Amino acid sequence: MPDFTDNLRPSQPDGPTTLARERAESNISPKELSEHLLSADGFLERQARILPIVQREPLFSKEKQQNLSRPERFKLGLARAKLLRRLKDQHQWSHDEYKMAEYLVDDVSPYFLHLEMFITTIREQASEAQRAEWMPLIESWKIVGAYAQTELGHGSNVRGLELEARWDSQAKEFILHSPTLTASKWWNGSLGRIANHAIVVAQLLLPKAGSVNEYVSHGPHPFIVQVRDMKTHLPLSGVVVGDIGAKYGYITMDNAYMLFDNFRIPHSAMLSRYSSVDPNTGIYTKPEQPALVYGSLTYVRAQIVHHARLVLARAVTVAVRYTAIRRQFQDRDGDKRGPEMAVLDYPTVQIRILPLLATAFALHYTGQSMRATYQSTREAVEQGDFRSLAHMHSMSSGLKSLCTMLAADGVETCRRAMGGHGFGGGSGLIQLNNDYLSKPTVEGDNWMITQQVAAYLIKKMTTAVDSLASPATDKTDAVFKEFVRNRGNGFSKAGLDVLASDRDVVQSFELRAAALTYDVYEQRVLKKQSWNSLLIQLHKLSKVTAFFESLSTDDFLSDSTKTVMWDLFRLFAFHTMETEAFEFFCCNAVTKSDLDRLPARVQELMSRIRPHAVNLVDSWMIPDYLLDRYKNYSFISIEDP
Amino acid sequence: MPSPPPDWVKALTPAGPQGSELLAQERAQSNINVDKLSELLHTKEFLQRQDQLVKLLQPEKVFDKSQNHSLGRVERLQRSLAKAKRLQQLAEKHQWSMEELHAANELIGEPTPYGLHASMFLVTLREQGSPEQHKLFLERAAKYEIIGCYAQTELGHGSNVRGLETTATWNPDKKTFTIHSPTLTASKWWIGSLGRTANHAVVMAQLFIGGKNYGPHPFVVQVRDLETHQPLENVYVGDIGPKFGYNTMDNGFLLFNNVEIPHVNMLARFSRIDKETNKYIRPALPTLVYGTLTWVRSNIVLQSGGVLARGVTIATRYAAVRRQFQDRDADVNAGENQVLNYKMVQVRLLPLLASMYALHFTGRGMMRLYEENQQRMKAAASPGQDSRGAGPEELRAGADLLADLHATSCGLKALASTTAGEGLEVCRRACGGHGYSSYSGIGSYYADYLPTLTWEGDNYMLTQQVARYLLKSARAVLSGKSADNDTSRILRNYLDRREKGASFDILENDADIVDAFAWRTAHLTFEALKHRDAEKRSWNSLLVDFWRLSTAHSQYMIVRNFYEAVSSPNLSQSLDSDSKTIMHSLFRLYALHTLEREAAEFFSSGAVTVRQITLTRTVAVMKLLDEIRPHAIRLVDAWAIPDWQLDSSLGRSDGKVYEDLFHRASQQNPVNDLTFDPYPWNENVLKNQPGKSKL
Repeated sequence: MPDFTDNLRPSQPDGPTTLARERAESNISPKELSEHLLSADGFLERQARILPIVQREPLFSKEKQQNLSRPERFKLGLARAKLLRRLKDQHQWSHDEYKMAEYLVDDVSPYFLHLEMFITTIREQASEAQRAEWMPLIESWKIVGAYAQTELGHGSNVRGLELEARWDSQAKEFILHSPTLTASKWWNGSLGRIANHAIVVAQLLLPKAGSVNEYVSHGPHPFIVQVRDMKTHLPLSGVVVGDIGAKYGYITMDNAYMLFDNFRIPHSAMLSRYSSVDPNTGIYTKPEQPALVYGSLTYVRAQIVHHARLVLARAVTVAVRYTAIRRQFQDRDGDKRGPEMAVLDYPTVQIRILPLLATAFALHYTGQSMRATYQSTREAVEQGDFRSLAHMHSMSSGLKSLCTMLAADGVETCRRAMGGHGFGGGSGLIQLNNDYLSKPTVEGDNWMITQQVAAYLIKKMTTAVDSLASPATDKTDAVFKEFVRNRGNGFSKAGLDVLASDRDVVQSFELRAAALTYDVYEQRVLKKQSWNSLLIQLHKLSKVTAFFESLSTDDFLSDSTKTVMWDLFRLFAFHTMETEAFEFFCCNAVTKSDLDRLPARVQELMSRIRPHAVNLVDSWMIPDYLLDRYKNYSFISIEDP
Repeated sequence: MPSPPPDWVKALTPAGPQGSELLAQERAQSNINVDKLSELLHTKEFLQRQDQLVKLLQPEKVFDKSQNHSLGRVERLQRSLAKAKRLQQLAEKHQWSMEELHAANELIGEPTPYGLHASMFLVTLREQGSPEQHKLFLERAAKYEIIGCYAQTELGHGSNVRGLETTATWNPDKKTFTIHSPTLTASKWWIGSLGRTANHAVVMAQLFIGGKNYGPHPFVVQVRDLETHQPLENVYVGDIGPKFGYNTMDNGFLLFNNVEIPHVNMLARFSRIDKETNKYIRPALPTLVYGTLTWVRSNIVLQSGGVLARGVTIATRYAAVRRQFQDRDADVNAGENQVLNYKMVQVRLLPLLASMYALHFTGRGMMRLYEENQQRMKAAASPGQDSRGAGPEELRAGADLLADLHATSCGLKALASTTAGEGLEVCRRACGGHGYSSYSGIGSYYADYLPTLTWEGDNYMLTQQVARYLLKSARAVLSGKSADNDTSRILRNYLDRREKGASFDILENDADIVDAFAWRTAHLTFEALKHRDAEKRSWNSLLVDFWRLSTAHSQYMIVRNFYEAVSSPNLSQSLDSDSKTIMHSLFRLYALHTLEREAAEFFSSGAVTVRQITLTRTVAVMKLLDEIRPHAIRLVDAWAIPDWQLDSSLGRSDGKVYEDLFHRASQQNPVNDLTFDPYPWNENVLKNQPGKSKL
């Protein structure tokens, strides 16, 4: 029905006018930069091709989904997941194309665990015979699976799991049993209402040699178990399984609880590529390389690290465009006549958003180096070479912790920097915030997994100290040895000029990492201090190490864009230094006078980057459909870049 | 709801030791007198009232909380209105005071669609209406014959009230105003209780008389029909849709197409239009509004302690029940370690535990100062209507104090609400995976609290007001004309001692800690003054410095207020000496932890040495964590938040964390009523319901 509101327009200058001017003011080419960032594995081309296909499906319209109840929203999520899978057949999509469609639709898929952890675990941990049996069933979707490891009372500590798999040597079967309520499987995605099979991780109990009633635990092992009837989809007798209820986000995922009551499974259920039980003797064969048990976890972590850049880029895109359009108050020193000032011109807004813009690029390079390491390590392991596993494991833990924290906090910072409208459903950052905030705890609590990094680094430092005279074996070893040598002469060699030299910036971070490692090494190894009180310092340490790689990367773009990219690099580094000023100062990684000049330098960098902000976010090529911002209000109509 | 679990599930208990045993053990190892401490924090009267209210409200079905996290937006809003109505009925039946209604609202745990009627609408009518308008609007509003809201912010305009676009044009012939929205960005936006509930609104609009703009003024405008509840003609009003939180509130939008209202609808206590002469009459006492805002902000500071306490109570109790990994240095048979024993959990939770006490005492201190000053001003002004009759000395001192209080309240509001909001998120994450469950009780509470960081002045914007005040005070001190208040005192002290240097003994002497915070604030103030006055830098380029300055000043205020509270005779009389010692430890933890985090500013201002900071970090804070750790559970118990209000599986006072999580998941979760068809090839999402379940 037409009424007086039809003719109302936003006050001038409106959104499109403002953004057009912003884009014209910068000499950065979003096209060039986006190709540098996203074209390597065909991402951009894929996005352009898949977008119109998903956008024309009414089921994928995001307009009303925020109003739905949990059951209705879950049904919608499942209906979408089903349609996506059918579209995959219809368009003959590859796995990457299918993932692209899922990324654009932007729901956490209730099929996620079937497609990732379930299939990966079978692929990596099943024997040849088991793979031959299960892979066809999974790939043809004859069965739908999940991965059940964590329990109500047990998360990061896999050894603490309570679910038992007891070997019955008479029947030659395993008996799955939950002895307590805390033994209930918990949080297991895709299992609450959807899966009919699951990889179940349980303590393997085998009879003690020469005894009938006594059992010995051989630690947690994976079993493939059918949990629901293939016809009725109801839980099998002896299994209690359901959805754990509402969460902060992940509303379209059916995270599960699951209990077993003396539930029998055949000998062949135990995945036995690496370890197995002889069905006749009950004798256990150990895995050659225990770390491999966590192979799929490492893969998931690598994925999470690589994805973090797009999450943060999306939030920064919304925040930069909105704050460029949003006006508030007149400049106090101005003539107070023109329009109000764009919020993005306030340094208090810049200092929240622009370092995050720089961080999105830092995450990009970090994710790339993580991916490369994962690939090469996997190849080596397939060849039987396990030497690089420890490094990769430590790297994936540290980076997962750091990158998810940066992205999760960054999304929230961007949302809040938008003031009231960041709180509204039109910001497009609400579901992103809700869903992404699970990341700092899934696949290992961030604070817990930093211990793994620290343990690795202490070992490296111990080696460096003990073999000071011999030549360095790798980059970390070289930095540590250099540090230990200089430590003797009171860092007289330091004297880094971080404000003038980018190379010195990197060295300053190296110095700080080495200094923190040495502190911890000294207290742990030399002074035998209790592990517990060191954890705080360790957390900071792993944060530093993770950045090591990305800061050393310096093969950037062509000239015009490169200037701004270097500014982003410096902004990122100096902003970190400023935030952690004391630590940098203590180990002489920055001088007092440089430290005093840092705030002014940060502000200067921000004002140099500011004119390019809109083009820089455009380069991430996040489609409006994915941003899901206020489409229906012309005041913030943002054209596709 | 789902059918009950089979008997073998009912028979299961969590692996030992049980949560209840662990909490009992925690409570046994501390000798803090929880009741005494509760009374000190809340008063006996408050605690009794809270008990009575819980007993009255909890059994009522309308206040059931079990489905809050599963319902859709529309259903939640409907149920929330039902709750609001029932509360109002109870309030009338039991003749509740404002405090009682407020306490009841806190207990039911969500904002309701009556929220803005009960607060801003009534307050604005009372404070800004003339006696005639009280009769016409306030009396009916108080009886809920009309339901109202307060419509200030617009789609394109938030903190800057002067930028509002809605106009109110005076028609000298008809003696009416025309309310109009000239653009889309002029739409009122975010207006609580307006979306679906209110039929009246106090609308802030730019007053135009004879083509001249007199700035924003408040007008009472009817927006919906009292019979049909449909929008009046030329009024376009509705709900703005789902939000990050606050989804039980109908925040609204509102547009006017030349709507005419009578002369009497402009709230006229302070400024008005003379109907005969068409002349604008200026506000008599602009500073009165100043006072109200100060009060509102001080209240936010006081409440922020309680808000944070909810998150800390939940996370601390759960960290005592949850066990993970064995201590690496302990005996292998010791079993898993309570998470609360990990230093990295302590260093996240215990400083927040200290902060909630710090914020509470600071809010208390602010409120007391405010009340005292109001009394003083009133006494000084009382001799007659003409305030010139008062003694100038008295008034001057009162005004100095109010100026100080006002600026202080801006900065503290920003710091306190940010500390509470971000603290809740830290608590949620400290709960690990289960913190992500809605049943943790933290996530939705955080989402509902977050608007506080923006309203009553955006936290970043507010810091400018503090900086402006501090610069002004510093200029006055330099010219020898400083005011008689604490801010001027610390600035003068700094100037007097600057040559000699600071040398505060922060590790041994509590009063020196307060002085170190004052020193850093004074140092930053004079630095900022140098940038602005000597180097002539633009205001805009200094905003980040101002924000840091305001934060430093507010941290000083909290440290000072906390110190005064723990050293006060009131606290000495109320608590035994062991509890008093722990309160002092909490003070030191808050102050030294803050100092350590802001280390760079403390050493570059010369307040402390690098060596002192290193010792603070590696020794003093660690020692304080050890001292406070055994008392953590009793310190949160003392906050006396009822289980029903916490509404958290993880934070239950009886420690039955796992039983409750399992119960809610399996018995209160409507998703488990549905059996799905999992296969992609079947378009139906539900099993055995052809057609019907298709989306």
